[in-house]
Amino acid sequence: MSVLITGAAGALAALVTQRLEGGEPLVGVDLRPMRAERPFPGDYIQLNRYSSRRMADVFRKYKPRLVIHLGVRAGFQRSMQDRYTNNVLGTRHLLQLCERYPVQRVVALSTYHVYGAHQHNAVGIREDAPLRASQIFPELADAVELDHTLTTFMWRQRQVSTIVLRPCNVIGPTLNNQISRLLRSQRSPRLLGFDPMLQFMHEDDAARAIALACQSNRWGVYNVAGEGTIPYEEAIRHAGGRPVPIPSFPAYVAVSLLWRLRLIFPQHLMDYFRYPTVIDDSSFRKELGFEPNHNTLETLASLRLSPPRRS
Amino acid sequence: MPGLIQRLVGPPISPETLAALKATSAVNSAGYDPWGLNPEYAAEATRYFSFLYRHWLRVETHGLENVPQGRVMLVPNHGGQLPLDGMMVGLAMALEASPPRVVRGMVERWFPSLPFVSTLFVRCGQVVGDPENCEALLRREQCIMVFPEGVRGSGKLWSERYRLQEFGSGFVRIALETRTPIVPVAIIGCEETYPAIYNAKTLAKLMDAPYLPVTPTWPLLGPLGALPLPVKVQLYFGKPILFSGDPDEPDEKTHARVEQVKSTLQGMIDEGLRARPRLKALDRLARWGRP
Repeated sequence: MSVLITGAAGALAALVTQRLEGGEPLVGVDLRPMRAERPFPGDYIQLNRYSSRRMADVFRKYKPRLVIHLGVRAGFQRSMQDRYTNNVLGTRHLLQLCERYPVQRVVALSTYHVYGAHQHNAVGIREDAPLRASQIFPELADAVELDHTLTTFMWRQRQVSTIVLRPCNVIGPTLNNQISRLLRSQRSPRLLGFDPMLQFMHEDDAARAIALACQSNRWGVYNVAGEGTIPYEEAIRHAGGRPVPIPSFPAYVAVSLLWRLRLIFPQHLMDYFRYPTVIDDSSFRKELGFEPNHNTLETLASLRLSPPRRS
Repeated sequence: MPGLIQRLVGPPISPETLAALKATSAVNSAGYDPWGLNPEYAAEATRYFSFLYRHWLRVETHGLENVPQGRVMLVPNHGGQLPLDGMMVGLAMALEASPPRVVRGMVERWFPSLPFVSTLFVRCGQVVGDPENCEALLRREQCIMVFPEGVRGSGKLWSERYRLQEFGSGFVRIALETRTPIVPVAIIGCEETYPAIYNAKTLAKLMDAPYLPVTPTWPLLGPLGALPLPVKVQLYFGKPILFSGDPDEPDEKTHARVEQVKSTLQGMIDEGLRARPRLKALDRLARWGRP
């Protein structure tokens, strides 16, 4: 009996494994090499893709009881096809293995982006809301289909207790995701005249929420968020950057040009800085007894603890 | 110069008022509620717009004491193209109610797509008119303002002023569901601030706006023509109406309740219009030539 963690070379996985260390033996898989400065506390296997045959061998050899699926590639620097192969097909393959070599529990990470940034969004989007993202931004189809793949598995394979988490923006000193990079930079672009409310969650809280989901026997889909909401402009200031307002028409053109050169985030993410996508995390708090330790201001200030990094 | 600004804009909002606004808003560590209300920002905006309230529209309030504490739904008549009516109710509740309160207006769904205005509205506590927002805010004991006429009311022409248009019925169901008292508010004056004589519907459609009014001065005189006429405004807050019953009752029953609110409000409007002091010159003109 062991615990399998995908995306094990990532910074969030490192925080989660720290919390699980000392219990059942841990097995990590990822497409990336493990960083020398944070060795994996257990066996680590580097794959070339999640749907490879070696993945099945990992299941045969280690017989995981619990699978923590963090190996989702949100890096928008990659092509849509690449993300689809990794996120959707890779996850399908992984879930088929979870069914075949029966695991007892699956903890999987989706994202709040699946709800989509829309001007009609009510504040406090609950888990049963429509996933509008793929409708508004076809580029996010892989994220929505990944979510559907996970929830379909959850409903059909009831012998596997599955919990799907849809967290808000997770940021922190060790994370190097899109939003952390954006807030860490000296000058952060914002859309002139728009200042939507955003939710941020500290990386430690996110890791704790995932660890909590591992221990719990609750199954279902849960939104996970931090303490509160904050306007984007103020978030930039608290993270130590300077907001640079850009009128929206040239901004959309510039972003799409820069995105072609893979210099900035893609155009479809711009709408998340225009309309609010505020999720309601009350079910997770109530049913799993979760309470974030860091408030929004501390969370944003924590970004200043680390210099901007290049990955 | 600062003295002049002080005189025009009015004194800063008192710390007690700010404290009261904060106390009822349930903000987080960053000073915002989930919808984006920031009481400090709202207080500052109140100060600047109070010029309009005190000196331009010279608002007078009646029956503010009828507004109960805790969750409440203000239901005013809508008219006058721009939402000055909602703004005046909001300013009255912030400046004259005791304790002062932030009014959470339910705004049109296309509002978030307007730059600057959307941010100003959100910081001052206005939210997209979605039933989920409304219920969640009432559960937080907020003071909601709904215009059941929607754009049918605000976009109506001069000839239809002070005649209530068709009411939506969602607000009554939410009031039943959350056991919220409804306070009808008759707004006299705002419907005359922009005497619209024509609605350029085709052009409005092109611009994705719900309506596009033409007044004797707008768009003829350009930005100057967009200035509201300095009509004296009276706000009448009625007695709260508390419905009890099944929130899933059939439509006919809800419609009867909606009609009750509507006719109460129309009665208040008519009374307010009758009580309005008439221009002496006009009376003299009417008497002119008679013995």
